[in-house]
Amino acid sequence: MSKTFGDVEAARDLDLRISPGEFLSFLGPSGCGKTTALRMLAGFEAPTRGDVLIDGQVVNQLEPHRRPVNMVFQSYALFPHLSVADNIGYGLRQRRPRLARSVIADKVERALETVRLSGFGKRRVWEMSGGQQQRVALARAIVNEPKLLLLDEPLAALDRKLRKEMQIELQDLQRQLGITFVLVTHDQEEALSLSDRICVMRAGRIVQVGSPQELYDCPASRYVADFVGNSNFFEGRIEEVDGALARLVTGGGQTLAGRASPGLAAGRDGCLSIRPEQIRIGSEPGPGCIEVTVQNRIFLGEHTEYLVRHGGLGNIIVLAPRQAEIGARGFEAGARAFLNWSDEAALILNPD
Amino acid sequence: MTRRERNWLLVAPAGAWFLVMLVLPLSFVFVFSFGERGPAGGYVPAFTLEQYANLPARWTAFKNTMVLAPLGTLAALLIAYPLAYQLAVRTDPRWKTLLLVLVIVPFWTSILIRSYAWIFILGGQGIPALLAALGIEDVRLIYTPFAVTVGIVYGYLPLMVFPIYVALDRLDKRLLEASSDLGARPFATFWQVTLPLSVPGVATGCMLVFILLMGEFLIPALLGGGKVFFVGNALVDLFLQSRNWAFGSAVAFTLILIMLVTVAIYMRLIARLQVRRDDVAIM
Amino acid sequence: MADNGYISKKQFIEELRRYQKGSVTRRHFLGVTGLGAATAVLGAAMPALRPSSAFAQGIGDRVVLATWPNYHDTANFDAFTDATGAFVQVNVFGSNEEMLAKLQAGGSGWDVFVPTNYTITTYVAEDLIEPLDVSKLSNYDAGAFDPRFADAGTVDGTLYAVPKNWGTTGFAVNTSHDGGKALTTWKDFFDRTMDDFSGRTMVHDYQLTTIGNALKYFGYSFNSVDPKELADAEKLLIEAKPHLFAISSDYQPAMRSGDAWLTMCWTGDGKQMNSDIPEIHYVLGREGGEIWSDYYAIPKGAPHREAAYALINHMLDPQVNAREVLAHGYPVADSRTNALLPPEILNDPILYPAQELLDALEFGAAATLTDPNRAELLARFKSA
Repeated sequence: MSKTFGDVEAARDLDLRISPGEFLSFLGPSGCGKTTALRMLAGFEAPTRGDVLIDGQVVNQLEPHRRPVNMVFQSYALFPHLSVADNIGYGLRQRRPRLARSVIADKVERALETVRLSGFGKRRVWEMSGGQQQRVALARAIVNEPKLLLLDEPLAALDRKLRKEMQIELQDLQRQLGITFVLVTHDQEEALSLSDRICVMRAGRIVQVGSPQELYDCPASRYVADFVGNSNFFEGRIEEVDGALARLVTGGGQTLAGRASPGLAAGRDGCLSIRPEQIRIGSEPGPGCIEVTVQNRIFLGEHTEYLVRHGGLGNIIVLAPRQAEIGARGFEAGARAFLNWSDEAALILNPD
Repeated sequence: MTRRERNWLLVAPAGAWFLVMLVLPLSFVFVFSFGERGPAGGYVPAFTLEQYANLPARWTAFKNTMVLAPLGTLAALLIAYPLAYQLAVRTDPRWKTLLLVLVIVPFWTSILIRSYAWIFILGGQGIPALLAALGIEDVRLIYTPFAVTVGIVYGYLPLMVFPIYVALDRLDKRLLEASSDLGARPFATFWQVTLPLSVPGVATGCMLVFILLMGEFLIPALLGGGKVFFVGNALVDLFLQSRNWAFGSAVAFTLILIMLVTVAIYMRLIARLQVRRDDVAIM
Repeated sequence: MADNGYISKKQFIEELRRYQKGSVTRRHFLGVTGLGAATAVLGAAMPALRPSSAFAQGIGDRVVLATWPNYHDTANFDAFTDATGAFVQVNVFGSNEEMLAKLQAGGSGWDVFVPTNYTITTYVAEDLIEPLDVSKLSNYDAGAFDPRFADAGTVDGTLYAVPKNWGTTGFAVNTSHDGGKALTTWKDFFDRTMDDFSGRTMVHDYQLTTIGNALKYFGYSFNSVDPKELADAEKLLIEAKPHLFAISSDYQPAMRSGDAWLTMCWTGDGKQMNSDIPEIHYVLGREGGEIWSDYYAIPKGAPHREAAYALINHMLDPQVNAREVLAHGYPVADSRTNALLPPEILNDPILYPAQELLDALEFGAAATLTDPNRAELLARFKSA
């Protein structure tokens, strides 16, 4: 399906099947169309072309209030004039035929328990902290037992520590309820840690769909490799493709080998991607090692990050596990060092 | 200069204004209301409750005012709300400014001129002539309570539209989406979200219109043909025709008292409805 | 214009202009609204409206006149300014009661005002009016004035006011609706109001005439303050109220548009409407009613007293006064001025009614102005 606003194409040729009970994330920078995709699922936008199907039924013309879908809004959109309990019970009160008052109260109470807010029902929503409001928003959505729960950057407004906690809670909740979750986020870490599958978007298109590990280990493009995790990229010309492996010659004349991503052709431009944590750093030269100068060192606790410089490849980021350094002083800026990595750890990609 | 002195200095202009424009005139009115009318009119100092004892002589004027002010406010509200809603929620932002200006423009014209226009519209050559052409004969509109209501609603509409417009315009549109997402039909969303959240605007608009209506005299005089008599008209006559300052002051003071009590009760009611302190009106 | 024809564009513009000038009728709705006073304040607050004088002859650069709407020829004021350098600032008022209220409140800033006959004794009693120094009024010739319209200017032998114009208060009726039965009395006026003129009649928003004419219905004096007689008048007025089109001294627009067919009316308005719409007749009730006379006077504490004398003297000049009559159409009591007027004006039955009709008329009495019962009666009538 596609969606255009005036001349702007917000989402284009989105073709995606979401399985029941799945936790799927739309990941991409702002303006990539992920929110539009979500709003089409919710029914706030109608696709300009194509269909939205829920349980095999086309719901394009179905208004939001008729869809078995609920949404947790960015910054929550809680009703300021209602208590916490009334916010949560809002959806239940819209049901026709009407639900008994006691049934609603029970369900609200259970939803409050689920999000660990028992006893907060009578509070006003603006009296709650950000994290509590987030949970009220969640409870307000899940109490309706939707087929699909949509989450629009639900954790963006929380501080880092709270975000971590809420990520865990979200994941628990999803397992516990078995509802299909669709999350929109620009935070790759969030997407990686929460999702069963991630749908990476760019400029209104889906560029890759896969499990977090697939995306991390086998990004289909430099864009994905760059957006999902960090990576060093060396550009060059593809010299040879031999089955699963390929070789690339960089502009500096360096020949590098790595796994071949699908669709590579010899003689074309390519790009080798190597994750910083896949590179080993040592003080002694060895076979296949390249010699570099340490530019900078950042101590990160369990890791140390080095920025090193290589005559032909330029700057390279290396993430060394702390274990290797215990007792050792590590490398000071200006020191000589040697890098190596296995060919399997590197991936040769088509440039975008 | 101590901080306390500085603070006093800062509130001094407002305090002086309050004193000169409000407290002083009101004190005069209060003192005069216990006096007597001079033989040829005016005021003779005295201490008598006679003027207050005479209040029943203006009972009809008070009764008319106490009926008109709430009804006129309600009528203005019923017309202003859909208008403000249309402007704030349904109108393309490109047209908003223009339409808002169109709502204000009549306010730039003297109420006299505008009321006079209504005399022509409601007069025999206006709407009744149109109705007669359609076969509905003998419709009398001008110089009736209906004409006064039309004039009042028309005159005070902008004062009602604006606060409601502002409240609706500030309303977070995602709340409406959230309501719809949670299964509320459009009318249910309006009833459960839009309306309660526009209460501050409604409260402000009603207050502005109500207070002004309590003292209204011009529109009834012009469009009521002198037959629709409010406290405002009674006051004009008492001060400018019969020159009974003492009785006029008693009537005025009583009106102010009624106004204060009504507004106080109203504020308490609204405060009870009010949910967010930061949403309380823009006055 | 036919009674049920549409108002023409020209007429509409005229109406609007009249309204804009604040000059709809003589004692018109400004009195009701209290805007007369507001106009006065505004006028005084805008010095730009006054030209600065290059040659003030010791009388100052302006003179403030409180008068009635539509009651002067502005060319006469221009001539005065040209001659003396003093600009005439005109404030118009709605009723004698309003003028009195303003003077009683103090600080009016007026130099000349135009009280009606029955109010002058009250102004004297309240010490609000200046005795006139005849030596400063070379154009005043006591012998030239019909004493009927000049006497009220003298109180206890002292001259306080000199005559301006006089007139009558009758009613105007649109004869195309009278079914061939002419109205000739105040009894007709009220009886027909409750019959074939129901919903089409207007009475003044003015205690003197509305109560006075209701008193005439019973044959009582126009000026009665007798409680029993006033009670009868009140009963009649309240009985008639549901049949009234409006209680307003601004009756010309409704009469001209055909909304109203019958109204209490002053000479000048009757003349104006009759000239434009011949089927509107001006009638003096056979039982009687009001005859009145307006005067020029100077209030106590006038800020430009010399200019005030100069202006009154200017207006008393028969040449000037004749131009005034031609502009507003009210009769004068000055034989010198009448000598300069064309015969069609002097023979006009609206301006100069038949003697037997005039004989039945009464001048308003000071008691009506100060009597609180008449004021309260009018308030009860309006709020009924």
